[in-house]
Order: sequence, then C-alpha cells, then structure tokens
Amino acid sequence: MFFTVSNLKVSSQGKKILRGVDLKLKKGEIQAILGPNGSGKSVLGQTILGNPRYKVEEGKIVLLGKDITKLSSSERVKLGVVLSWQNPPVVKGVKLAQLLDKISKRKVSAQKLEADRLLDRGVNLNFSGGEKKLSELLQILSLKPKLVILDEIESGLDLKKTAMAAKIIQQELVDKNISVLLITHSGEILKFLRPKTINVMIAGKIICHHGGYEKVLKTIKDYGYEKCKKHALFADRQ
Amino acid sequence: MKSAKNTHYLQIDNKIEKICGSEGIEILPAKTAWEKYAWARKYFIDKPKTGYFIHVQKQPDHALSTCVSVSSRGVKQEMQNLMIIEENLKVSIKGVCNSIHKSFAGSHQAKGKIIVKQGAEVNYQQIHSWGKKNTVDTDYQFYLEKNSHLDHKYQVALPPKKLKASIRLTLLENAVANLETTASCAETEFDLKDVLMLKGKNASGMIKLRLAAGKNSLVSAYSQVRAEAEAKGHLDCQGLLLDKTAKVSLVPGLICSNKKAQITHEASIGKVSEEELNYLQMRGLTEKQALELIVNGFLQ
Repeated sequence: MFFTVSNLKVSSQGKKILRGVDLKLKKGEIQAILGPNGSGKSVLGQTILGNPRYKVEEGKIVLLGKDITKLSSSERVKLGVVLSWQNPPVVKGVKLAQLLDKISKRKVSAQKLEADRLLDRGVNLNFSGGEKKLSELLQILSLKPKLVILDEIESGLDLKKTAMAAKIIQQELVDKNISVLLITHSGEILKFLRPKTINVMIAGKIICHHGGYEKVLKTIKDYGYEKCKKHALFADRQ
Repeated sequence: MKSAKNTHYLQIDNKIEKICGSEGIEILPAKTAWEKYAWARKYFIDKPKTGYFIHVQKQPDHALSTCVSVSSRGVKQEMQNLMIIEENLKVSIKGVCNSIHKSFAGSHQAKGKIIVKQGAEVNYQQIHSWGKKNTVDTDYQFYLEKNSHLDHKYQVALPPKKLKASIRLTLLENAVANLETTASCAETEFDLKDVLMLKGKNASGMIKLRLAAGKNSLVSAYSQVRAEAEAKGHLDCQGLLLDKTAKVSLVPGLICSNKKAQITHEASIGKVSEEELNYLQMRGLTEKQALELIVNGFLQ
C-alpha cells in the first residue's frame, strides 16, 4: 500500500481529538474525507504532516512501507507528503517569491495558476480567500509531492474559482499519478474531482468508506452529518 | 577585502589603506581636514586622531562607500567622521564597519556628524558586521537643513559582544527623516539610544526599530521624538524574543512643546509564532531554516 494510517489516536493539550483513524490510499488515488466542523479532519491532515501541537498517542502513519509517525515535518515533506492549509498564516516580511525560492524543488509557472500577481506580496498578507488557495497550490506543486492533502481547498472560492482549482488539481496532481486526499466540509470540490472513495469522519473517527460521492453528498444534504451514523448507506462502517 | 575595489575610504585598524575622492567629492583623513579647513573644526569635538571627512559638493554619479575594519588583535579605533552634503544633491552612501577576524578582540569607537544641507537627499546605509569579542560604540548626529531628506538604515548584521549606539537626528523646516534600525542579536549586549528632534515647522520623521534578541542577549532601546515645532513624528518599535535567556527592553518616549505637533508611538515585544514556524516546516524547511526566515522577515 502506498499510504496507510492505522488506528491513529491523537490528543492536544490533554484533549482526545482523533480516536483511532484508519485510512488507506493507493498510488495516484484520490480520496476525500467529509465531516462536520470539529470532527478532526484538519487535525488528521496536520498530524500526517507532523505538527508538534498534536500528540500521537497510538497508531502509525506509513508511507511506502516507511513509518513516518515520528519524523519531523520537514522530513515528511522531503519524502513527498505535503499539506495545503485551510487557513495559512501570514509570514511577516517574507514575500511569496522569496518563500518559493527557499522551498522549491521544481519550477512551477505561477502564471499558469494565475498567481504571478502574488509573488511580490507578503506570504498570505491581506490575501483574499481565493489568493490564499492559489498560493497554497503554487507552493505544494513546487515541492514535487507524492501525496497531497488539500484541507478545504474550496473554502473562500466561488464556483468558478473552485472549478479552476479542481482543474489545476486534476492536471497537475491526479493526471500525474500523485495521490490526493481531499478534506472537505461542504463537498463542493467533489463534484469536479469525483473521488472514488469518500470517508466520513465524525467525532475523531472515520465511520465509513463509500464509493459514490453523489450518494454521500445527498445523504448529508438530506439528513445532516449527525444522522450519518444511523443511515443505512453506511452499512460498511468500521 | 571584497569591497575594497569600490570603496572610497578604506581603513584597517588605524591605517588608511585607500582614500579616493573625485571632482566635487573631497575625501580626506579627518585629521587633515581639521588642519586644512578652519570652518570644519566646529563640527569636530576635538582634533581627530583618525576618521574621514567627506564633502560632497557636486552631484555624484555613483554611490559613495566607506569601509572601516578591525583586523588586529586588541586594536582600538577612535574615529571622528564628518560628512557634508551640499545643497540639492542626491547622494547614496554605504558604510560598512566590520572585523576581519571574527575571533579577535578589538574595539571600534566612532563619533560622526552628517550635515545634509538645504534640499539635499541622502540615502545612508550603515552595516555592522562584527566578531563575538568586539566592543563597539557609535555616536552619530545628523543635521537636516530646510527641505532636506534622509533615509538612514542602521543594520547590525553580525553583532559584537557589546554594542552601544546613539543616533540623533535634528530636523529643520520641511525636513524629512526615516531612521530604520535592525539588529539580530546573539550573545550580545546592545544599548541603543535614538532621538528625533523636530525643530522646524512641517518637519516629519519616523524611527523604526526591529530588534531580535537571541541566546544570552540583552537589548535595550531608548527612543525619543521631541517636537518643538508644528511637526510630525512617529516611533515604531518592535522586539522579537528568540530565546528564554534573551531580554528586550523598549522604552519609547514622546516629548512635545508645541501644541500643533503630532507625535505618536507604537511598541511591542513578541515571540516567534509557533503557527508560522510549523507552516514553514511543512514547506520542507528545518526548524533552523524556518526560524532564520521568520527573523529575516521580521527585520525587513
């Protein structure tokens, strides 16, 4: 298996957040994690990238047979695991072009992403929601990733921009056999990228895997996340 | 010396290695200027031992540069420098003060006066790059005549063991000054005093400090804006604590004796944001690289 998360239990400041997450991803596969606010989706992304704020109490994260659970964030990135932040912070006094100079493993055309106007601006400083996402995409593409986690990539984007982001993800990642894990609350991006597997996360646990994103979105729209646990759709819950 | 080729004044220890003026740009040892020009004596405290005299009387077509280095073990420099920029000229000056052997002890003491005459515009960058055993004491006074403009950057790239710096700016009518002091300190005691004196109507100035304090550093900055005329002044002081053994003290002061003057200040001391640090590490930088980038960004 290309990437595996097994029984991952995570806490922060004594509070249990992830309560035994299991996830498997094949090379080049695109999967999504759907869940309500506070279900632990972003914490899962941050933990996979090694944010020291989140303590792994139990479980393992394995990439290409290598246990990366205890590696530093930068070591994980070197192995090809990258994350696009939902709310990336401002890096004071540093221009996006300067940051790209420091981190890039390959040249990515900012123009192609319509992000060239951002290069001379401070990283995330006064960026609109859409500009933040473009900047995140530009950075992660320049890291030459093998596995990309996109945390709420569509938040702050209108439908047209979501479609544009989805096109970039399709062309630059999916079509190039790079694995993608989409973390999403609204599920809007799924309509464009059509992932084969949807994982629903509630209260720190993935409670089901499902093949059809349309059915899952409809169920959530009709019944809400709180009813997911009880809904017949999730017959294969863990 | 990499920069020696383009340097107009080069002093190593107490010996002048190069002095290179041109038409309308007179550069002399300060001692010679004292002897040659009676009018210049009022600008010196007493007869200078070492130091430079730069008198810009004609518009230069290039930036001027000075370099003063400590090279020998235990050397003591006591300089008096004088720069006079004549009316309506636009001049860029880069001054480097450094030690060649970073492990040698040595001291550098410099007192300077910079006279910016009416309507002149000066961009003056001063870079300090010292060794861990150096002690440095600089005291510079800038006089800005009517309608003149000064942008001055005082940058401590590599700090010495002890650094005492005093910068005083006096602004006459319509003069504008921006002073920016940046320092990244480690194992350093840095004592900074800067004063912006607004003496002329419609003068305006700003003092901006960005002081980062690393391991075993004690950074103290006393900054003042004094307004005696209808003028505007602002202090923007920011400190960054990089280590638990570091201490930063920022003391901004506003003194006003003209009811039409507008003088303001802001001051803050913070630590490195964990979120920024994590973000940069998730872009593949090591903790050290991420910290360096954050500190450089802060100093910008």
